[in-house]
Amino acid sequence: MTERPPPGRTRGYALSEIPIVRRALRSRWPQFGLTAIMLAFFVLAIVAGLAGTPAGNRNFGIVFVWIVWWALLILLLVPFAGRMWCGVCPIPAPGEWLQRRALVQPRPGGKLYTLGLKWPRPLRNIWLQNAGFLGVALFSAVILTTPAATALVLLAFMIVAVGTSLAFERRTFCRYLCPVGGFIGLYSQVAPLELRVKDPAVCAGHKEKTCYTGSDDGYGCPWMVFPGSLTSNTYCGLCTECLRTCNRDNVAIFARRAGADLLQTSGRRLDEAYKGLIMLACAFIYSAVLLGPWGELKEAARAVGTPGWMAYTAAFLAINLVVVPGLFWIAVRAGRWLGGREGETSSSQIERLATQAPPAMAGATLPNFRVGAIASSLRAESGTVSAGRSEGIPPVEARGEIASSQTPLLATTVPSLGGALLATTAVNGSARVTARGTRPGRPAVRGMSASTSELFAGYAAVLVPLGLAAWVAFTLSFVLINFSYAWPALSDPLGWGWDLLGTASLPWTPYAPGLVPLLQVPVLLAGLASAIALALRTAGQHGQRPWGALPVAAFCTASTIGLLGLYLA
Amino acid sequence: MNTWHAGEPSDGGTAPEPDGRPERDAERLPGAGSRGRPRRRLDLAALVIVVVALTAAPVGVFGYRAAHLRAPAGARVVEIIARVPEQGGFGPDHITLQAGEAVRLRISSPDVVHGFSIPGLGVDIDEIYPGKVVEVDIRPERPGRFPFACTRWCSVDHWRMRGVIDVVGAPIQGGVTPDGVVATQRPPLYQRLGIDLDAMRHAAADVPSGRPSASAGARSAFALPLALSSADERRATTPADAFARLRADPSNSARTDGEIWDAVAWAWLKDLRPDELAAADERFARDCAACHGPDGNRDGPAGKNLPGLAKMDPSLPRGPADFTDAPQMLAASDALLEGKILRGGMGTGMPEFGSLYTEAELRSAVARIRLFTFDR
Amino acid sequence: MSLSRRQALVASATLVLLAAALLAPLPLQRAAAQERRIKVSARSFAYEPGTVYANVGDTMVIDLESEDAVHGLYVDGYGVSAHAEPGRPAQLRFVASQGGAFRMRCNVACGSLHPFMIGKLVVGPNLPWLRAVAATLVAAAGAIAVFWPRPGTK
Repeated sequence: MTERPPPGRTRGYALSEIPIVRRALRSRWPQFGLTAIMLAFFVLAIVAGLAGTPAGNRNFGIVFVWIVWWALLILLLVPFAGRMWCGVCPIPAPGEWLQRRALVQPRPGGKLYTLGLKWPRPLRNIWLQNAGFLGVALFSAVILTTPAATALVLLAFMIVAVGTSLAFERRTFCRYLCPVGGFIGLYSQVAPLELRVKDPAVCAGHKEKTCYTGSDDGYGCPWMVFPGSLTSNTYCGLCTECLRTCNRDNVAIFARRAGADLLQTSGRRLDEAYKGLIMLACAFIYSAVLLGPWGELKEAARAVGTPGWMAYTAAFLAINLVVVPGLFWIAVRAGRWLGGREGETSSSQIERLATQAPPAMAGATLPNFRVGAIASSLRAESGTVSAGRSEGIPPVEARGEIASSQTPLLATTVPSLGGALLATTAVNGSARVTARGTRPGRPAVRGMSASTSELFAGYAAVLVPLGLAAWVAFTLSFVLINFSYAWPALSDPLGWGWDLLGTASLPWTPYAPGLVPLLQVPVLLAGLASAIALALRTAGQHGQRPWGALPVAAFCTASTIGLLGLYLA
Repeated sequence: MNTWHAGEPSDGGTAPEPDGRPERDAERLPGAGSRGRPRRRLDLAALVIVVVALTAAPVGVFGYRAAHLRAPAGARVVEIIARVPEQGGFGPDHITLQAGEAVRLRISSPDVVHGFSIPGLGVDIDEIYPGKVVEVDIRPERPGRFPFACTRWCSVDHWRMRGVIDVVGAPIQGGVTPDGVVATQRPPLYQRLGIDLDAMRHAAADVPSGRPSASAGARSAFALPLALSSADERRATTPADAFARLRADPSNSARTDGEIWDAVAWAWLKDLRPDELAAADERFARDCAACHGPDGNRDGPAGKNLPGLAKMDPSLPRGPADFTDAPQMLAASDALLEGKILRGGMGTGMPEFGSLYTEAELRSAVARIRLFTFDR
Repeated sequence: MSLSRRQALVASATLVLLAAALLAPLPLQRAAAQERRIKVSARSFAYEPGTVYANVGDTMVIDLESEDAVHGLYVDGYGVSAHAEPGRPAQLRFVASQGGAFRMRCNVACGSLHPFMIGKLVVGPNLPWLRAVAATLVAAAGAIAVFWPRPGTK
């Protein structure tokens, strides 16, 4: 039975209220079973990588991780189901079981047996995930083709995840370290489903907030997100713990218009903007190096340690961290010049909201610094323009503190050109958030006006559909060609001469190679159209004339033509 | 405690009310939220599932291998991994077996396509495809040394990819050995003749203007002296010397130079049967063409960086011999060519084939080389 | 997303133009078809030359040679292939009847980068690429026109 939306709020169709879905989600066994199956395959991939044949085409680890799983993830799961993979991912599972000292049924009170260290505040963003993704992408010519390298990477992920679970609270690994999570989160904004609360007013009146703190029925959100203030899919891992823990039955998974999360472009973050830029740059680099006809590039990418590889690494990092962000920045700057600014900027709106005092929340058991944030975010949501997207990260007044504490990190990690331009810009909206929020003595911004940095992060929303389309197009071009490796890999997972299912001798057969461009073009064009629509919307939301969106639209068009050139020219 | 809707019609069908919604009881899943035996049983089941998930792969994989590896009738299994020579070549490359022992060889490759051949034991596998395992059962009957080699070009150093099987013990009754390879037999002809393989030879003074044709020579009803018609005698003679001898014979004064060259060609090629030629073509393509070139003119990709004769005299050109260079080839006897093929080149890059070729294969290889200067 | 009448009209016009860009037959001058003989040398993990150019209708004769191991050459879209190893060259013969860019792949496992051992055959005029560029420009212009905010709204 579908939940009737309370009067005055339309939420859409609640998928999780369909009886069979509801039963499957309330019971912990289906999710546990799926996770166990994924874990078994994960272990098999590691065993195959370490003990099996080094010939990647006959190794279960290579074929089922980089062809089958990757195709399922980027072609089906992320665009249509958001972060659902995170809900059954085997990497954090053993660590989480150890943390909870429970496999299925929760322990009373949602207690966690971990050192419970808090993740350092300057690292509470996705910069580490950006760096992790760049690291894996840089060595991808080796990792994707060498079973032992894949096995070691997977093993390293699991060891780090387990270690993090024992030392830090909840799913710190998934939230702040996992390179896959970085881009799954960003692209899950495109998905046509979302996990939200049915009625925020219920949350406002609920003292315990068991969805966040945990209870006898379940654990608090492992992603350290407050479901009540979720407005975007990015940081919700669809583990559905809150669905079970909320004793007001106020959480559900809703169907919705695809990409609804992107419609709000103010208050976007720099680390997410860079993730979008990195993903787009890597789509270009992968398409050129791995799928292009230039053998010297592939050789340079593979021969780790040689001068050619060092040149490749320098170019790789420059393109990811300087060239593509630089071009985007130029587009944003040109847009600012073309579009001008009219009316109230969102930065001045934030100042206005920041001066409102939070309501009294006496007796709340939540960590103090989140209390006021949640309350003020609820007030902000019920107001006109939200003070940025809330993922349970303390917005508004505490945000200023986070913003300024992130600046040293940005200044040191972003290379010099980008650093000079972008260092010390606040991640969550304007650095001129409030005089109360910034640390005394530190100037709000160095080297760039707040409005351009805000525009930069805001326009970066267009990179989500554009980048996802690029990765879908890239994936299509090698998956259809190489999927036939999966059948022998099932019969002979380690290349030891077995034939478990009789498919070991099936030859490599490219599937419908002529179909690939016919699929790539519509996907890229759909991404481009969405990106341009978003750019125009962003211009409006930041008080610009629509002309301001044209340089970014040109950037998107040029990127699309560039990618099409790599595939079709 | 709270009650969850379990998908059934709710008790009373409470509509959601903001602020002040009645608390509902927790859903009573079997054994949920309470201690006691039902919970422990479920926890145990979950633990079993996790243990299975973690151990299924290693246990299944290594267990199946242990079971699967048992060869028929308790034969011994020997695993050989064929890698490109730069990464180690065959591993192991020295195997010791007992005469009469049944052995299953499992050969696999982690990198490129290799071949595998043990001429002395009749094993010839054309393709070891990366990731696939090839199994062959052998049962050596007599003691001896049996070299083996890769037979598909797997890298520029492919010719180094060799190994040896030593068979020890008493020969079994009634055992039969196929044709032995040359290296295990009596001293080759060039040694018996005392030919210095590495001496620089003078180019032939007289060379034919066209390509001599063996079939034309056959048709012309030449009376060949015994020195040329007997294969054993002919092998010690160079074609240039044969031409000179025929030219000097007064009974041939009416013949043109071309006809005499045709007769020489016929003498050198008349013993080559068509099936031997086909096998020799195949062996040339497999073993020689990569360095000497499919057309014999030293343009093969693997020969580019070989030292060749420059190893002995830096003023000489690098690289493999040119089979189309008539003055050089006509001044070489079959014994000399056979010797070079058998022994290899002492650092020039020419591999030794004495461990791989039988006498018949060697002679047909030389005849195949003559076909670059003579027509059939 | 509810579109206004104007937006729906512009969107439809865009789609029509897109279809035209992608599908409309073009009366292009074609160069005379000839036989093209090209030597392609394969090594781990690239082809030399990496890109082979031809005109629509040409009879392609590709002499495939390998420099170091057994390699193959398979042409996407045409489905023809051959294997070669040092000393044993192979020849691939086919008519390049379709225009476009087709990848040449190695179809004999030859080492770690084997799945990425790729070259290109470009058969010109490369209509699919030109159409794709035209379609991109149409789509971009159309998206700008459809989603341009109406005056008075933000």
